[in-house]
Amino acid sequence: MEPLGDCYRIPIRGAMSEKRTDLLRGTLDLLVLKALSLEPLHGVGISRRIKQMTMGAFQVSFGSLFPSLHRMEERGWVEAEWRTSENNRRAKYYRLTSLGRAQLKVEERDWNHVVKVMKAAVQSA
Amino acid sequence: MPRRIVSLFRNLLRKHTVEQALDDELQSSVEILAQEKMKDGLSRTVALRQALIELGGVEQVKEEVRAIRVGRFLENFVRNLRLALRTMAKTPSFTAVVILTLALGIGANTTIFAMVSRFVLHTAPVGDPPTLFTLHTTDHNQCCNNFSWPLFTDVRDNAKSFSGVAGFYELLPASISGSGDPQRLWGQAASTNFFDVTQLGMTLGRGFRSDEQNSPVIVLGDRVWKSRFSSDPNILGKSIALSGHPYTVIGVAPPYFRGIDLILDTQFWVPIGNIDQLLPNTGHFDWRNYHWIAVAARLKPGVSRAEAAAELQLLSQRFAQAHPDTEKNLGFHFDRAGSLPPRDKSVILVFLSTLMLVVFLVLLIACANVGNLFLARAAGRQHEIAVRIALGATRGQLLRQVLTESVLFSLIGGLFGVLISVWATGGLSTFRFPVPVTLDLNVGIDYKVLLFTFLLSLATGVLFGLLPAWTAAWGSPSTALKGEDVLASPGRFWTLRNLLVVAQISMSLVLLCVTGLCLRSLRSASSISIGFRSSGVLAMSIDPRLHSYTPERTVQFLIELQRRCSVVPGVSSAAATDALPLSGGHRSDGFQAVGKKPLDPTPIVELYMASPGYLDTLGIHLLNGRDFSNESASSPRVAIVNQVFADTFFPHENPLGQSVSSGGITYEIIGVTNNIKSRFLGEDLRPVLFRSLPQTVASDPSFEGYTILARTAADSTSVATSVRSVIRDMDPTLAVFNKQTMEHHVREALFLPRLAGTLFAVFGTVGLLLAAIGLYGVMNHTVSLRIREIAIRMALGAQASSVLRHFLRRGLQLTAIALAIGLPAAFVIAKLFNSILYGIKPNDAITFVSIPLFLAFVTLLASYIPARSATKLDPMTALRYE
Repeated sequence: MEPLGDCYRIPIRGAMSEKRTDLLRGTLDLLVLKALSLEPLHGVGISRRIKQMTMGAFQVSFGSLFPSLHRMEERGWVEAEWRTSENNRRAKYYRLTSLGRAQLKVEERDWNHVVKVMKAAVQSA
Repeated sequence: MPRRIVSLFRNLLRKHTVEQALDDELQSSVEILAQEKMKDGLSRTVALRQALIELGGVEQVKEEVRAIRVGRFLENFVRNLRLALRTMAKTPSFTAVVILTLALGIGANTTIFAMVSRFVLHTAPVGDPPTLFTLHTTDHNQCCNNFSWPLFTDVRDNAKSFSGVAGFYELLPASISGSGDPQRLWGQAASTNFFDVTQLGMTLGRGFRSDEQNSPVIVLGDRVWKSRFSSDPNILGKSIALSGHPYTVIGVAPPYFRGIDLILDTQFWVPIGNIDQLLPNTGHFDWRNYHWIAVAARLKPGVSRAEAAAELQLLSQRFAQAHPDTEKNLGFHFDRAGSLPPRDKSVILVFLSTLMLVVFLVLLIACANVGNLFLARAAGRQHEIAVRIALGATRGQLLRQVLTESVLFSLIGGLFGVLISVWATGGLSTFRFPVPVTLDLNVGIDYKVLLFTFLLSLATGVLFGLLPAWTAAWGSPSTALKGEDVLASPGRFWTLRNLLVVAQISMSLVLLCVTGLCLRSLRSASSISIGFRSSGVLAMSIDPRLHSYTPERTVQFLIELQRRCSVVPGVSSAAATDALPLSGGHRSDGFQAVGKKPLDPTPIVELYMASPGYLDTLGIHLLNGRDFSNESASSPRVAIVNQVFADTFFPHENPLGQSVSSGGITYEIIGVTNNIKSRFLGEDLRPVLFRSLPQTVASDPSFEGYTILARTAADSTSVATSVRSVIRDMDPTLAVFNKQTMEHHVREALFLPRLAGTLFAVFGTVGLLLAAIGLYGVMNHTVSLRIREIAIRMALGAQASSVLRHFLRRGLQLTAIALAIGLPAAFVIAKLFNSILYGIKPNDAITFVSIPLFLAFVTLLASYIPARSATKLDPMTALRYE
């Protein structure tokens, strides 16, 4: 598999520690929802947007991104439709639903909470 | 989550569309990525390649997406199920053996559980069963007796824990009119609140009103309404004849209700005030020391069982003070309605739990067997499994797959098991107790039994599937990939398979020993000397009392009937009596010899009425003295006793001319006979006293009617018709019941040994077969694993006999260990059977020597056959054998 340099690799399902995966999978959901909050994007577009948003620190593997997207679709957080892309190619575009927007708010709040708590914990030592 | 359910159906039902959409999406993603790269100046080919690399492989991503879809689990399950079905179809003989084995094991458990469910788990067929209780009195805390009428009314009027207390006489015989020959039925005489306390919904009409205690009204059981009154919907208000008295039908009970308990077969109910009319000459119904009434009580809402018991405890102390002569040590016993009769409960429970234990053993043997078969097959699939693990299948996935298969096997086995037990319970229901009362002992399959079987099958599947699954998934893949058998563990004796075989053989030993004991018991029971000749004797019963006969008329009728029967062609002699011996106990009373020191404790003597010619007809030998002749009711009482009676009361003396007394009546002994079995076949001999029938009918009438006996030389069925018509000629309204030959009656008396013998013979044979198949399978497998080694040895000059000896030794070692474990266990379990064994001890030497030898022989045979076939192989073929 392609070595990913020094950027973070979001672990795929079935990795050694389930707990850790859950935390990071939640993070991925948040990033995807955030990426879609401005405009509908296709899979590759989402990947690029996340890279851009995180200033190149996170590069999501497609093996994690697509399952995440499909799960969110099954849950009704995003909707998909086939459109023609800027390069005149057909692509499946994902768009946030109102449910997805609500979920984004929840995830953002949770994340902020985690960051605050973690920061306090790390600084306390 | 409706959206996810929609997704589930889409994923499962429109799989193709979903897959196609995913494929399109990934292909378009690859294109987009490739175009990005082509903008950087790469050629299309290189760009496409790089795009695929960045995506991480189309198929890999697809697999990741599939893994998160809703319904993935179900999909996997269906796939495992398909795989299992395919494997089953591929090896039909293996499948058949496994399913048959499991079906036998599970079927045996289902059958016995059906008995448990019928007799132990069932609740009374009444409204709101948990709050209905049956009450019994105790004396010195000794269980259990019925209530006297005054005690019943005292409890009814004083106990505040109950919303209603009903009393009923449980076994009221009556002849009933309607279509066909008159028929004698068993009903109950109940207090007027009976149907309110039991909270029964009637099929037709109503229960008793509180002002009907002495009214001639009747509630019919469903069966008699259907059979004798052809389900007449307008029967309410009609008058029917009950033992010759007119009764008005006011209701029909629902079909499931045949009394509060689950054993009696009650077919009608009348108010309790009618009992004097229906049971004339019985009297004493209002005595405080005459315990005849059964009691059921409904707990008030909000009152706990403990509170009710405490109140009854207080009441019993109050009654004891008020009536010190009759109720000094009174106590009450409390039971959920519909439980087994308290006096017989423990015996029945022991019998049923021993049976449960035994069938569980059968199932364990079956499990060990099937587990072994699966192990052997898993050995053949190790290579496949190792390859799958190497390719990335997780152990959980493999485990799930093997378990799906084993559970599928066990569920199908369970299904066949239910079929077996439907047949078996049908057979069990044909066993009859040799008692004059009609009982409802039908055993069937209900939902509890089905649930039990389902859970048992599931557990069985997991149990025997887990072992092979475990070894398959945790065996070392590297060994298996090299083509070696991971389970073979060369040089180790205690392999899993050997352990299973040892367990199997020792369990079979326990089972076979118990079987052997029961069969020997059955044999000795059927050769027990009963003291009378049962062949060629015909019996049928009538109850003239139910037809308002006075005692005098009853005696006249019986004597005349005997006279007419004795001249029927084909009849050599005839006699009248009250009840037949071997009916589980009829009349008995304490006796003392007159003019001697009273014996302590007072001996209990079995009582039978006999007309002149009774001894001849039944083939009982008069050892001394004379038979009855023409005693009249008013002449001094005379009696004939058996040898045990004579030995008990008059050791070293001539009993003839001596007097004995009981209940204020003195009898002069005029004859002594050989001993007969009175209540049961297996009993120790009891003292028996035959009373003159004409002298006894008035003072101590039989509750169960009178029986006419005819000894026939010819075909007894044709004689039966003639005897029946003699009765019809004398009184066409008389109901005739219990028509049977004595031979049939004695066969019924073998009920318990026959039931136990039959059950265990079946279970024992099944267990033995399974164990033999198991050992054969293991030996066969061991031999096949070492076939090359055998070939090399033989090519190098080893004798066939030494090879054979080697394998026989292996088999014998296993058997010896199994016997060492199984024999002590069998000893312990056999002790439990003591109460149902006839004429043999639970440590019966013949059983405990012959069964292990027999088992050793069978196991030796099971190891000999595969070993011999191995030595017969051509070494060159065997060397190339894979």
